[in-house]
Amino acid sequence: MKNKLMHLSNETMNVGFVKKVEALSGSSVRRCFQCGKCSAGCPMSTFMEHPPNRIVRLLQLGQGQRVLAGRSIWYCASCETCTTRCPNKVDLAAIMDALRKLSWDADGPSKESYVQLANRLFIENIRTYGRQYELRLGAIFNMKSGQFLKDLMLGPKLISKGKLKMFHSKNRNISDIEGIFKRVEEMRKKGEAL
Amino acid sequence: MTPGKKKLSYSYYPGCSLHASGREYDISTRALFKALNVGLKEVPDWFCCGATPAHNVDELLSLSLCAKNLSLAEQVEGDLAVACAACFSRLKTTQHHLKEDATKRKQVEYAIDGPASLNKPVKHILEILAREYGLAKLEESVKKPLMGLKVAAYYGCLLTRPPEVPELDDCEDPSIMEDILRALGAEPVKWSHRMECCGANFTLSRPGVVLKLSNAILESARLAGADCIMVACPLCHGNLDIRQKEIKEAFGAPDSTLFGSIFGSDLPISTTSEDRRDLPIFYITQLAALAMGVASQSLGFESVIIDPKPLLRDKQLL
Ligand code: SF4
Ligand code: SF4
Repeated sequence: MKNKLMHLSNETMNVGFVKKVEALSGSSVRRCFQCGKCSAGCPMSTFMEHPPNRIVRLLQLGQGQRVLAGRSIWYCASCETCTTRCPNKVDLAAIMDALRKLSWDADGPSKESYVQLANRLFIENIRTYGRQYELRLGAIFNMKSGQFLKDLMLGPKLISKGKLKMFHSKNRNISDIEGIFKRVEEMRKKGEAL
Repeated sequence: MTPGKKKLSYSYYPGCSLHASGREYDISTRALFKALNVGLKEVPDWFCCGATPAHNVDELLSLSLCAKNLSLAEQVEGDLAVACAACFSRLKTTQHHLKEDATKRKQVEYAIDGPASLNKPVKHILEILAREYGLAKLEESVKKPLMGLKVAAYYGCLLTRPPEVPELDDCEDPSIMEDILRALGAEPVKWSHRMECCGANFTLSRPGVVLKLSNAILESARLAGADCIMVACPLCHGNLDIRQKEIKEAFGAPDSTLFGSIFGSDLPISTTSEDRRDLPIFYITQLAALAMGVASQSLGFESVIIDPKPLLRDKQLL
């Protein structure tokens, strides 16, 4: 970022965005008094440019874009340590989910597309097969992320150990599953759900 | 069976991993329940609960997938037994959210085109073993006590979190795994990393993260003098077992303090490279079934990467 200084004014504070985060997560960001306990316990904070407590602070200041522009939200492991320990009951893990959803909806200014790609393939697998098809998940991920050789040595070993199945059958109730995806999309289109 | 008391019996949601990379967890769970004479019947046509990726980007979808699975589970009698920590956390969280939030419940019921079933108790198998079957009875049922086996009980993140949801045990200082280990005759060690995250599903997108976090867990267990680690989650198992050789290659530098200072690693005090012994990773059900006298051939030991047999032979448990 060129200008590291943060200018706070009605123009730079996106309050609408913060309200959306609060609605999606069901958690208030205003409760936070910046004790830092969430970041102290976060196993991923060393990988993040904004540790969890700073994410909340940025949201309090209406700086949603700054949060989305970084990689922090894609390095959260959803371990719930922050939520468990917060003295003010800020549900940071849910806030992280909400932020990822908003980034995903905008097709993400986030740079961490590998994590997004993995999530997308995982969800696609549910829609197509009903259950996870781990071999396909790994293979397509490597293809699409351009890491053709990643874990190449692991693959055959896992197959011979019976840990990766070569073939996969579809769930019998796959049309019910498709129905769920369709109706969720439909509710969003009609503005009935966030 | 005590007269007048019905035989314990559960419906069972294995989840995707237990049908693939975590198959030995499934096999040993079934073997253990059979040995204890507890019924276990798989929910027909269950599908993926969405695990972490679904709620990571689409909470409504995640809640709907879990709610549909819960209503499928109604077809089989008995409380719902879940072995995978991630599935357990998702299914429980869904019930909790939908009970609290009427709007979400309405949306989800529209999505699954039917009522959400929120009252079927969802139970992790640890809970079933320690509370419903009972520690005392478990101890009585032991045929081959796991004498002399020093085990690091690893909870990981999701078994007891978020605090208001799983009701399994204290969310910062649980003891249910250690209690079970003691009932089996094993010796749980005291160690620092029993609730630290292993990197979970970053194993696909960011393996480097997994290597670092899992290394700290393995080191901590070694320093506490553990012979092995016991888990209750197929993702933890995958990260600690499948990637253990890679972790050794990445972090096996002779002086890991130096390595730590360069890479900012949060390793515990360093161990030397000779001391980086392989640690077999067991599922709780494998150890429990072994103690119940189930033949080791039916516990899926051939499917793991770090061979546990030398250790078990050494302790005269095979
Ligand atoms: S633990 Fe809670 S109150 Fe403390 S900094 Fe984090 S979010 Fe804020
Ligand atoms: S849920 Fe995410 S932000 Fe919270 S402690 Fe875990 S990794 Fe950190």
